[in-house]
Amino acid sequence: MKITPIIGLEVHVELNTKSKMFCSCSAEHFHVDPNTHTCPTCLGLPGALPVPNKTACEWCIKLGLALGCTPNESSFFERKNYFYPDLAKGYQLTQYEKPFVINGKIKIGDQEVRINRAHMEEDTGKSVHIKDNGQELTLIDYNRCGVPLVEIVSEPDITSAQMAKDYLLKMQQIIRYIGISDADIEKGSMRCEPTVNLKIEDNDQVFYTPLVEIKNVASLTGVQTAIDFEIKRQTEAFKQTGEVKSKNNKNTFGWDADKNQTFLQREKEGSSDYRYFPEPDIPHIEFTKAEIEAIRKSIPELPDQKFSRYQKDFGLNDYDANLLVSDINFSQIFEKAIGQNPTPEMAKFTANLFLGAIKTYLNESQESLDINKINPEYFKNLFDSVTKSEISATVAKQVIIESYHIGQDPVVIAKNSGLIQVSDSGEIEKLAKEVIAANSKAVSDYLKNPASIGFLIGKLMQASKGSANPKLAKEILEKLLN
Amino acid sequence: MDLKSLTISQIQELLFSKQISAVDIVKFYLQRIKKIDPQIKAFITITEKEALKQAEIIDSKIKKGESVGKLAGAVMAVKDIFLTKDIQTTASSQVLKDYLPQYSSTIYQKLIDEDAIIIGKTNTDPFAFGGSTENSGFFTTKNPWNLSKVPGGSSGGSAAAVAADLCQFALGTDTGGSIRLPASLCNISGLKPTYGLNSRYGITAMASSFDCPGVFAKNVADLALLTKITAGVDPKDATTIDNPVPDYSEILNNVDLKGLKIGLPKEYFIDPINTEVKEKVMAAAKLFQSKGAILVDISLPNTNLGIAVYYILVPSEISANMARYDGIRFGRNTDNNPDITSYYMNTRGQYMEAEVKRRILIGTYALSSGYYDAYYTKASKVRTLIKNEFTNALKEVDVILAPVSPTVAWDIGAKANDPLQMYLVDAFTVCINVAGVPSVALPCGFNQENLPIGFQLIGNFFEESKILSIANQYQQFTDYHLQTPKI
Repeated sequence: MKITPIIGLEVHVELNTKSKMFCSCSAEHFHVDPNTHTCPTCLGLPGALPVPNKTACEWCIKLGLALGCTPNESSFFERKNYFYPDLAKGYQLTQYEKPFVINGKIKIGDQEVRINRAHMEEDTGKSVHIKDNGQELTLIDYNRCGVPLVEIVSEPDITSAQMAKDYLLKMQQIIRYIGISDADIEKGSMRCEPTVNLKIEDNDQVFYTPLVEIKNVASLTGVQTAIDFEIKRQTEAFKQTGEVKSKNNKNTFGWDADKNQTFLQREKEGSSDYRYFPEPDIPHIEFTKAEIEAIRKSIPELPDQKFSRYQKDFGLNDYDANLLVSDINFSQIFEKAIGQNPTPEMAKFTANLFLGAIKTYLNESQESLDINKINPEYFKNLFDSVTKSEISATVAKQVIIESYHIGQDPVVIAKNSGLIQVSDSGEIEKLAKEVIAANSKAVSDYLKNPASIGFLIGKLMQASKGSANPKLAKEILEKLLN
Repeated sequence: MDLKSLTISQIQELLFSKQISAVDIVKFYLQRIKKIDPQIKAFITITEKEALKQAEIIDSKIKKGESVGKLAGAVMAVKDIFLTKDIQTTASSQVLKDYLPQYSSTIYQKLIDEDAIIIGKTNTDPFAFGGSTENSGFFTTKNPWNLSKVPGGSSGGSAAAVAADLCQFALGTDTGGSIRLPASLCNISGLKPTYGLNSRYGITAMASSFDCPGVFAKNVADLALLTKITAGVDPKDATTIDNPVPDYSEILNNVDLKGLKIGLPKEYFIDPINTEVKEKVMAAAKLFQSKGAILVDISLPNTNLGIAVYYILVPSEISANMARYDGIRFGRNTDNNPDITSYYMNTRGQYMEAEVKRRILIGTYALSSGYYDAYYTKASKVRTLIKNEFTNALKEVDVILAPVSPTVAWDIGAKANDPLQMYLVDAFTVCINVAGVPSVALPCGFNQENLPIGFQLIGNFFEESKILSIANQYQQFTDYHLQTPKI
């Protein structure tokens, strides 16, 4: 029996525009007093009308273009009708027939996931369930109602939970690169609903298990675990019941992050009748070719392009290049640090500092880097000093962090702390003689086994407080002992 | 002083020459309303306090020699689907009884900003769904010309208030004839502007792609004055058009009737038209002919599809527009519901009037999967045909002349239990809304029972100045519009 998971993802991204999608209320809703960012339009009061946010529409197209999509010549909004208390108007404005952009793709390693569409819509309010004096209450906060959302729908080209996670990471990178959202899954500004079923091949027969849409996944790990769980669950269910996909047995499962399992929410749901029809309050929206090109030009270098450039220009390996491009802020700071037209050696040296000392430091301190405190000249000086063996790689790692903190040239810091490498052979020879005199056991060891010289070098480095050039130290020790 | 039948400019003459004060004007209308409105029932809310306060402010400005707005002293009635901040706005439905809006509709505010005085909110069919005011959640308005007849609708309260001289002008909306029909049945003038000329912001939505707010007045000159103020792009209504607004009053006589081609669409002069209506409307056409206009027989062959298209597309939009009336954020609600679905069903079930429910049902059905293409999509295509028919006809002729209502005002109750008969009263008005073009309705005579008859002049998109100019000249040759009901 051969089992191939078929996974499609619907991703919702909240845009970080200043105002909401159809009114001028602030789109900020995280940690804001309930119902303070509202107006007649987003509250769905009688007579209020929606006016589309042009920037949000442009950003939706921008994302689409970054995903290789084609813009529709003319788009329009539609009303998706359903009742829910947090949906003020009783319909959601979205795009059904003519989304802004269609037919793109995302590269995941050497595989590709096709994008069906990216369309513009509005978020709903939030229902909050509380207990007040023993009474169960549902309160509604409309601050989020009308916040611009872009929905990106993939084709079911994803074949594993890991690939789904990689897809989301890539999506997140691209969104952050073009700066339209912080795309934070934990904060809810990026949400994901996987739809999963299995293709099961058994003795020349092919079966497809019923489609399951998974809701309430609130983290990247959650997505991966939920899909893996669902693959196992569907495999078992198929073995037990043999139920296959039909026209109306799409089920909705919720993800329980505490129990690490999915649970059935809605069974055998035919496609709900949302009675979509064109929103009469908003004229059709057309972007000219020139406007589309202007949006295209505003797209910065994307992660894939940056990755290739780092490899080609700086000779970075896959792993290092990927680590650097994965976070737009980190790579921007890195690019500032290497300055303009760096040599490959300088770039590689700096990349190592970023991926090593700096990353370690950031992980430990939980700080984030301030690009304004990055001085490319300091990195250049440091690189030159290391190249000239004035400063050891170890010292470079130490001083770069201090340099970042106090805003001083790392080479100056090294000098002031006496950390400049001693390459004066007279000085080292003096220390070497002392070390040999004080470690007769190690000397006799060395004479039996030359590979054990490391111990003596270590002692010498210790005596020089780390400032001796280790290569020179080795040479001098060998010369004295032989 | 008897201010009865005075137009806006006539009353302003008295005001600015200090023969009367704004407070005098308001008191005059308040007295008339108190005396006459109990018979007519045009008003749901009388805004005595607000009116007197506004009048005092205007008087004090005049006294100090400060400048006043273009409508200083003009007293208006406002259809109760226009939101008026802190003034009860019911949409004539039990759903919104006692509802106090937090903001005002754009064109109401524009009029107030020009010192127009609000005297009250007028009755309509609930949310403007109807053609007679009989569907109102509160009461039926009577026709001032004959209290046993309907005033027409849905803006029947506004039309009756102007006709009975309970105000000088009124705000209405026209989705399928709701300004022109009651104007015609009550012997006053009314303008349904081009879709997108007047902002819809702050007016409870009926069918968003059809709704046209507009004004009723005692003559066309006042319509021109008022439309100059209401018209224009509104950043809060994305369907308003950013065209420069002409000074309609300045160009009222600009159209030369000599050689003017007036189209008479044959489909508007056949069944169900009443003979007397047809005669009077033809007489109006002949009058233009006698002034040098050329009458051209034209055909608008899809006219008979208008009602069908209208009653698919309009309820479809209504079904979504009414969804917000769920009793959660505003409006009345019900208690002791076990769950949210019961809450919706009981609240909407209890307070929505029968016609409101009927239209939600029709629209929900038409939009349902499996029916959508047969109804909504098909009707949208026919809508385009009807629109093209008008624009093509208006290439051949300068303006189209047609009756407004097939009949004069009918007896209250006569069609109340037959929705289909009621829908047909709009047979000659809906296509204009389907197309989106402007049309002005004005009086052209009376039948033997002394019930008013009106006609409409239909122009191409944004040709308000042309149709108003032609209509104004008609009123200079005739005195039908000067006739008032004996009440």
